[in-house]
Amino acid sequence: MIVIRNLYKSFNDTEVVKGVNLTVAKNEVIAIIGPSGGGKSTFLRCINHIEKPTSGDIEIDGQTITKDNVAKARKNIGMVFQHFNLFPHMCVLDNIIYAPMKVLGLKRTEATKIARNLLKQVYMQKHEQDYPSSLSGGQKQRIAIVRALAMQPKVMLFDEPTSSLDPEMVKEVLTVIKSLAHTGITMLIVTHQMNFARDTADRIVFFANGTIVETSTPKEFFSSPKTTRAKQFLEKVL
Amino acid sequence: MDLNSIFYIIKGIPTTLEYTFLSFLIGLTLGAILSLGKLSKNIYLGQLTSFYISIFRGTPILVQLSIVYFVTPTLINYKISIFEAGIIAFSLNSAAYISEIIRSGIGSIDKGQFESARALGVPYFYAMKDIILPQAIRNILPTLVNEIISLLKETAIISLVGAEKDIMKRADTISTAQYDYFAPLLTAAVCYYLLVLIFSSIAKFVENRIKII
Repeated sequence: MIVIRNLYKSFNDTEVVKGVNLTVAKNEVIAIIGPSGGGKSTFLRCINHIEKPTSGDIEIDGQTITKDNVAKARKNIGMVFQHFNLFPHMCVLDNIIYAPMKVLGLKRTEATKIARNLLKQVYMQKHEQDYPSSLSGGQKQRIAIVRALAMQPKVMLFDEPTSSLDPEMVKEVLTVIKSLAHTGITMLIVTHQMNFARDTADRIVFFANGTIVETSTPKEFFSSPKTTRAKQFLEKVL
Repeated sequence: MDLNSIFYIIKGIPTTLEYTFLSFLIGLTLGAILSLGKLSKNIYLGQLTSFYISIFRGTPILVQLSIVYFVTPTLINYKISIFEAGIIAFSLNSAAYISEIIRSGIGSIDKGQFESARALGVPYFYAMKDIILPQAIRNILPTLVNEIISLLKETAIISLVGAEKDIMKRADTISTAQYDYFAPLLTAAVCYYLLVLIFSSIAKFVENRIKII
């Protein structure tokens, strides 16, 4: 589904992602964890070229992403941000149906139908006319997830989806993300929620200093990490 | 000064407003184009627009107006009217200021808005039109109104280059004819001041209405 080859990304002279290779199967759920400043988010943002890689290839469904087909590729890749990034001048429903109408060319009625179904799934159907500023952080993030899902993507990228939430709202968002796992959508999640990563992911990718240090199943990773770097990290966070 | 003279001056208001609005509309259009030029990744386009903005903000409007009015006939052999010269000079001048206002408005929008639009696959033009600009306009509305207000006041200098029938020129005509400067100029000042007050209160009303909920 996703093949990443020799990915490098530098900002000016600082190399942030240093030669990453990763293959992700269809329907797989990957949790990317690791120390802050290690390049996890930048790596994730390179996958849909929100951050343009300095070198290396991203292949999705057999198609290598280039400058010319990136817009098309993005239709299949949903993204959820740490800071939600909802459009503040549009109500919840308009936030969700804007891209399906403009990008996929759906009619308003079709897009609205899809949106309402998804809103029901995240228990937000009563809020379709509300504006983002009147919602709580957890609600905003659930809407942001729905907005991405309304494009019916094959891949979902989550960039620290709970890092800017109040502690009591983390769970409602994680529950939604968990419910999406293994429903046919390939998921990559950058997170600091260790329990969530352990319970939800098929594979843990441990990312530090711009590279993948270790890849293993959650069970292996949390009970007997292969590398000392991962051991040190787990001693600090668990 | 009699009542007729006062009315004579007040009748200059439409002319003054005509200069103001026409120049502002052309300036707004030109300014939007310039601001996109300055934000573009093309270095030459960026430098060209920066140069334009720097020239028009760096020289007095009276000099710009005089150049347009007095130099055009010798340069391209066309007898330019005061009205044309005024609209051209004021438009080009306000475009420089407005482009900087729009640019700062776009710059004030959170980077995340561009990112989520791109992540959703929204083309650049639509992202600008539907997502970035509506938010930017709300942020810059007060500054844009300030620009209209200063334009309104600046149009008074049109009377220095020729016989246009705006508020200031009419006040000037009465002054010279009646050897009385205080009353006509005071009338002109009151006219300008009232117009400015009306503009600012309309702006305040609109601003409250479209505030992000």
